[in-house]
Amino acid sequence: MAEEPDRRESRQPRAIAKPAVHVGRRTVLGILGLTGVGIVAGAKIDSALGSSISAVSSAIGVPLPGASNFRYYTITGTYPKINPGSYELTVDGMVKNPLRLSLADLRSLPRTKLVHRFQCVTGWYVENVHWEGVLLSEVLQRAGVTSKATALRLFSGDGAYTESLTLSQAHLPDIIVADLMQSANLTSDHGGPVRLYVAPMYGYKSIKWLNRIEVTNEIVPGYWEDNGYPVDAWINGVPER
Amino acid sequence: MIHADRPGAARVETGASPVAPGEAGKNVPRFDLVERLVHWSTALMMLTLIVTGAILYLPSLALRIGHRGLVENIHVITGLCLLGPLVLALAGPWGRRLYADLRRFDRWGAADFDWFKGASRRKGVARDKFNGGQKLEAAFLGSAMVAALVTGVIMRFAPSSWISWATGATLVHDALFFAIGVAVLAHIAFALSRPDQLVSMVNGRIPRAWAKSHAAAWLSEIEAPAPEDPPPGRS
Repeated sequence: MAEEPDRRESRQPRAIAKPAVHVGRRTVLGILGLTGVGIVAGAKIDSALGSSISAVSSAIGVPLPGASNFRYYTITGTYPKINPGSYELTVDGMVKNPLRLSLADLRSLPRTKLVHRFQCVTGWYVENVHWEGVLLSEVLQRAGVTSKATALRLFSGDGAYTESLTLSQAHLPDIIVADLMQSANLTSDHGGPVRLYVAPMYGYKSIKWLNRIEVTNEIVPGYWEDNGYPVDAWINGVPER
Repeated sequence: MIHADRPGAARVETGASPVAPGEAGKNVPRFDLVERLVHWSTALMMLTLIVTGAILYLPSLALRIGHRGLVENIHVITGLCLLGPLVLALAGPWGRRLYADLRRFDRWGAADFDWFKGASRRKGVARDKFNGGQKLEAAFLGSAMVAALVTGVIMRFAPSSWISWATGATLVHDALFFAIGVAVLAHIAFALSRPDQLVSMVNGRIPRAWAKSHAAAWLSEIEAPAPEDPPPGRS
């Protein structure tokens, strides 16, 4: 490295006639100011403009910022492809009648529809998602939960993801074992053929590829809860009702 | 640096003396080692962030690649390190040259504003080391890196009760993905179509002829005598 040019250039640049305009500084302050406004007011901006942005986004096929875009999560390497024909949901543990429900069995139970936001704990959400399936409480009632049970342990067909709910949470009227989304069979990408949808809580509670419900008498924290997220994942930190 | 000890090579440059005017085919120093290290380490991390960010954000890529946890960890760790080289370089005297160039990005003269008017309408004012487009790009990318770091930290580490800010941070971070992507693509396209400047970011030097036609004000600045600290070895 030549020493001399360093010394020369570290003096005030003379190439700019005075007075120089501080455009660089203004650009930096402008970008950082916009960022601050975006962080604080972004949720409001999003709820005001989100539907218009989403319309443009789906028209051009690009997931624009602020549009209702699903982000696809898997904690394993792949998105498990589970054959709907051989799918089974096991309900066991502290129950009087352990169940093994095929997709057809599940679909023969009373159906519930919900139209609700899917809210991820990292901030993104998708508005007005149509969910359809069977109330979790309905499934539990068929299995006959014993009196000492207090909690559920939920397992995924990916072999890794787990979740938990208290038994009283599990009886809320907006938690469903879902097999339809946007009036179509739940795709593998979204956790099909069957996932849980827990409307009042952050998305990580809505376990994908649900294949086993174990009724227990203790909460065993799930995958994301072991990674620092709250076990009671109420949106905004409090139950909606 | 070269031939200083050879008899008869009296006026040949040494590493310590400015390039004598009129020497055709000569190079002048444009970026020092610290600046080049900062550039290439930051560039490598930026490309990593763009690729992993695209996998996390674009459904078609996310579904094809999978391994989200791994991709997310690479993205987050790289993002946390992104400003490291810049901060390290500015933390000591070895970053004087870089700091001087950052000052140039800030300070705009008539030639920098003229640059945006298009080739035919430029007034031909002697230009600084960087043109207006380069200065704007540098200021934008520098602040966008900070903005992406702040919003990314909120997305990844904020408590779940900050959901409103997390939504805002996600909106900004997603917008930055597109803005940074466009800025970096433009930067690469300009660099590939201007080999002299690209090479100068590799070996630090640029032809004096380039400087004369593209950065005349800078050239006269670095070639002007510096009376207050004369080059060592001269009397």
